[in-house]
Amino acid sequence: MSNAKERKHAKKMRNQPTNVTLSSGFVADSGVKYHNGGRKPFQSQKEPHSGTSRQWQTKMSHHSLAESDAKEQSSSRVTFKKKGGWKAGPEGTSQEIPKYITASTFAQARAAEISAMLKAVAQKSSNSLVFQTLPRHMRRRAMSHNVKRLPRRLQEIAQKEAEKAVHQKKEHSKNKCHKARRCHINRMLEFNRRQKKNKWLETHIWHAKRFHMVKRWGYCLGERPTVKSHRACYRAMTSRCLLQDLSYYCCLELKGKEEEILKALSPMCSIDTGLTFAAVHCLSGKHQGSLMLYRANKYPREMLGPVTFIWKAERTPGDTSESRHLWIWLHPSLKQDILEEIKAVCQCVEPTKSTVCLPDPLLTPSQEKSRTDLPTEKIGKKRKWKDDEENAKPIKKVIGDGTRDPLQPYSWISPTTGIVISDLTMEMNRFRLIGPLAHSILTEALKAASVHTEGEDTEKTPHCWWIEACRNPDSVSLHHRQETIFELLGGITSPAEIPAGTILGLTVGDPRINLPQKRSKVLPNPEKCQDNEKVRQLLLEGVPVECSHSFLWNQDICKSVTENKIPDQDLNRKRSELLVPGSQLFLGPHESKVPILLIQQPGKVTGDDQRGWGSGWDVLLPKGWGMAFWIPFIYRGARVGGLKETVVHSQYKRSPNVPGDFPDCPAGILFAEEQAKNLLEKYKRRPPAKRPNYVKLGTLAPFCCPWEQLTRDWESRVQAQDESSAASSPGGEESSLRRDVVPCAPMPGRTRQLSDDEGTPLNDSSEPKGVMDTDGPARPGTEGVVGQGATGSLLCVLRSRKLLRQLSAWCGPSSGNSRAAARAPGTGQQELRREACLSILDRFPKALVWVRLSLLRKGSPEPHTMICVPAEEDLLQLSQDRLYCGPQEPKHSDPFKSQIRKQKEKKKLEKRQKRGCAASEGLAEGDPAAGQQPLTLGLWSGPLPVVTSHCSRVLLGFVTQGDFSMAVGCGEALGFVSLTGLLDMLSSQPGVERGLVLLRPPASLQYRFARIVIEV
Amino acid sequence: MVRFKHRYLLCEVVSDDPRCRLSLEDRVLGGLVRDTIARVHGTFGAAACSIGFAVRYLNAYTGIVLLRCRKEFYRLVWSALPFITYLENRGHHYPCFLNTLHVGGTIRTCQKFLIQYNRRQLLILLQNCTDEGEREAIQKSVTRSCLLEESSAGEELSDSGGEETAEAME
Repeated sequence: MSNAKERKHAKKMRNQPTNVTLSSGFVADSGVKYHNGGRKPFQSQKEPHSGTSRQWQTKMSHHSLAESDAKEQSSSRVTFKKKGGWKAGPEGTSQEIPKYITASTFAQARAAEISAMLKAVAQKSSNSLVFQTLPRHMRRRAMSHNVKRLPRRLQEIAQKEAEKAVHQKKEHSKNKCHKARRCHINRMLEFNRRQKKNKWLETHIWHAKRFHMVKRWGYCLGERPTVKSHRACYRAMTSRCLLQDLSYYCCLELKGKEEEILKALSPMCSIDTGLTFAAVHCLSGKHQGSLMLYRANKYPREMLGPVTFIWKAERTPGDTSESRHLWIWLHPSLKQDILEEIKAVCQCVEPTKSTVCLPDPLLTPSQEKSRTDLPTEKIGKKRKWKDDEENAKPIKKVIGDGTRDPLQPYSWISPTTGIVISDLTMEMNRFRLIGPLAHSILTEALKAASVHTEGEDTEKTPHCWWIEACRNPDSVSLHHRQETIFELLGGITSPAEIPAGTILGLTVGDPRINLPQKRSKVLPNPEKCQDNEKVRQLLLEGVPVECSHSFLWNQDICKSVTENKIPDQDLNRKRSELLVPGSQLFLGPHESKVPILLIQQPGKVTGDDQRGWGSGWDVLLPKGWGMAFWIPFIYRGARVGGLKETVVHSQYKRSPNVPGDFPDCPAGILFAEEQAKNLLEKYKRRPPAKRPNYVKLGTLAPFCCPWEQLTRDWESRVQAQDESSAASSPGGEESSLRRDVVPCAPMPGRTRQLSDDEGTPLNDSSEPKGVMDTDGPARPGTEGVVGQGATGSLLCVLRSRKLLRQLSAWCGPSSGNSRAAARAPGTGQQELRREACLSILDRFPKALVWVRLSLLRKGSPEPHTMICVPAEEDLLQLSQDRLYCGPQEPKHSDPFKSQIRKQKEKKKLEKRQKRGCAASEGLAEGDPAAGQQPLTLGLWSGPLPVVTSHCSRVLLGFVTQGDFSMAVGCGEALGFVSLTGLLDMLSSQPGVERGLVLLRPPASLQYRFARIVIEV
Repeated sequence: MVRFKHRYLLCEVVSDDPRCRLSLEDRVLGGLVRDTIARVHGTFGAAACSIGFAVRYLNAYTGIVLLRCRKEFYRLVWSALPFITYLENRGHHYPCFLNTLHVGGTIRTCQKFLIQYNRRQLLILLQNCTDEGEREAIQKSVTRSCLLEESSAGEELSDSGGEETAEAME
């Protein structure tokens, strides 16, 4: 009988009387001291729940015991007279005739039996409820609900049962009724309480109703819609419009003199990776720039993360002494590191209290927490009148950062350079519209603010900043120019046509005013496209610099706009008071004017096909206006995506996703750790038989990518190869040079000799090869410096554009003229190329390269798929048979299985021992069990062996994003490969098949062919 | 309800020999009844009665025995009971006979009957008692059993509640 069944049976029988035999009584009575100690454990083991019957038995034996003592007789001969015996007479026919008999024992036995039977009869013994024991004809409807429907004798029991059932239910801490909880003021309180730990975006409630929410980076963010939408979101990105709330992106503002800022920030970025903060068209404020930040002077190691930045357009171009504003937008996971580093390079240490973003310092913390929500204050006050007047603090909606510690500074000033850094996180909303319909939606939803004319009544409107601005004819004309350009945007079919990073400032009216009645889908208006002359000019020249001006840069105006927002409630009331229902609402000068900033986001900028895919516009709004813009966008047919759509977007753009695809920056490492933990947890949730055994599949690290070890293994591998080749090959000179060069990176001696070389930019690797030759001996030293500075162990990702371009040229199958170029000079070219490889390797000893892999035939890669070097016979087979799918990995053996089994047996043994022995031994046994780390079946435990040569094909790298690509129609993956390995592979592969690799998902044995492409 | 219907025979083992009670065990008694049925009703009877036959309750002190058999053939068991004349255990023969008190459809009814029956017995005993001391003792046990009846109803729920919690803790 199974344990549960046994227990159930015991429960059923617990009230039933057990058999009482004299022999058991005899045992009990034969020794008094034996009575309690010896018998009970035996019985309790046999029947743990027969408490009452046991009591009865012991009682019985007690009686008989007392009796036997009194009578000085063996208890076995306790006389029990039956009815018949009683009637027949006392003597009976026993051999040992008792001297006298008593009726009391007889009576006691009867009485005990009565009580036992009573117990059995009176108590229900089954698991059923009371009313279930009633016969059919006595049952009534809703008996379990209403106790009074039961027969009166059962009512009491049923009552107790019902109470017990209530207790078993989870208790709600509802101190208020539903209606009270839904009341506005209480909801506000509750919402404010709930966003204390994790920040909420302004669109949180909207998202929470439609999205799976996750807590990430200190925010509550929508991860993916609850509806099925993977394909729909892709289609929206490609042909319609996808809307995302990126308000969680952090903004750092740097204020100061231009040259001071540039001087301070220049060590953090390298010209090698692209443009810097000083790029001309960015510096003017015309375009948004994007770059990679590194720790100061640590390039190419110690990456901090990618950022985008915009300079505020200067009023008087050319005047460099003017104070400039710079906004750096970055992902929240990178914020901590970058902020610290920027503070360090700008020498900004003193927290300032006087900046605009910090409100009145006299406010108490509780007031300050809700400092930003003056617009809702009116409602709060109104409610306050009604509810309780003594409540001093009106409850306000938290707008902006609800978690920010009021005492923590978020603005710092540098005493030497005068640069002020302020953290503008959550001070602005950032919405991203992706897709070709972004223009139509923007032009449809937003209408430029009407210029204020003198004739209107000015005293009442709260928007005095706009009236001020309208008095200045310059700004009015600027506004009109911005308006015409914005109108022109509607005629452009795709945001990709506009120059990348274009900034357009604008002041718009309240978008809620012209909200359509129903949700609709905008279509590009062909009539607007007729103005070809102007459109062409716009496309050619871009938005003029002065048009990028926006009042959004002015914190005071932003604050006033946030404070003077008309609540939805008032707007709706006014709408309901319209004479003709449904007609356009006209607020006149009371209508809010909102300064916004439109930034064009370039889509796919790398590669040859589909350039400009996924481009769109970012809309920056002052805080508090999030929902007012959000709903109008959606009503124009924008589809909303979450974090998952961000990943998909970056995947189709073939750009690395922040922070997952930055294995060399701290946020990326943290992200990978978290991801590995989650995946491991998910893996462990399945039973061992229902999950892949990764040890048998030869997958060493299915949940994380051991970049560190991969690069290290490749380094030692190449070194070993070189040594062997040097020993064997007669062409010793070149290889000996190589042998010298490769291990020199960690060598300390070379660092000094080339300090003069350090100043030269590191980008000369792609210079003409002749130069390279002469430069050869000097190179290693330079790289020694770099390697040394980074302590030689940190890996880096190759981001030098020139090197990447060179690599991408090498990766492709050398065909046509390039192959001819490679072949024609014969060995000379080949040698040169090796030389170049070596120089690259020296500069980036442990580097990874971001590559795109497109599968040749079948197969859809997934994250953590292994990228392997094909063996020669694979390529041979492929060239013979075009349909060849790929080789198979032979099954590995699982050396841990026996260990696990042993452990299990040991545990079982311990358990048995524990059960048998006393608890004191359990302490001693607990130690070895705790000391051994628990092995998981199917996972490699302990330190990983050499990762590159664990499988039959040499491991080159890992895929970080991979899926079936709906754009190309075959599997596509993005990932990193070891630079050392890549160069080694390329040099060994023949020209036609160059760039072919094998992909193997972690849970499969099948390799698939893919082509490596490096896109710059 | 779909179930096997049983009959329960509440019997009393009457024997003058105290050693008979000493050897009164369910296995012994069950074997005895089976043998008797086979002797009286032959192979058919034995086979018919062997299904579902069990000794559900046995009290050696009072000699009460509760036998269970299938409803279809309880008459065979019943009719065989008078033919039991001795209890055989370890080679000893103790003369005894079985006195059928009640035939019920459920254990519960038998238990209820047993309560009534025992109470009646006690009262008879009390009436016929002549010795003062014994009379007192009987009186005590009678009152105790009566008190138990009242208290048990109250006890029961708290008791079961306690057990429930104990079970939950396991």
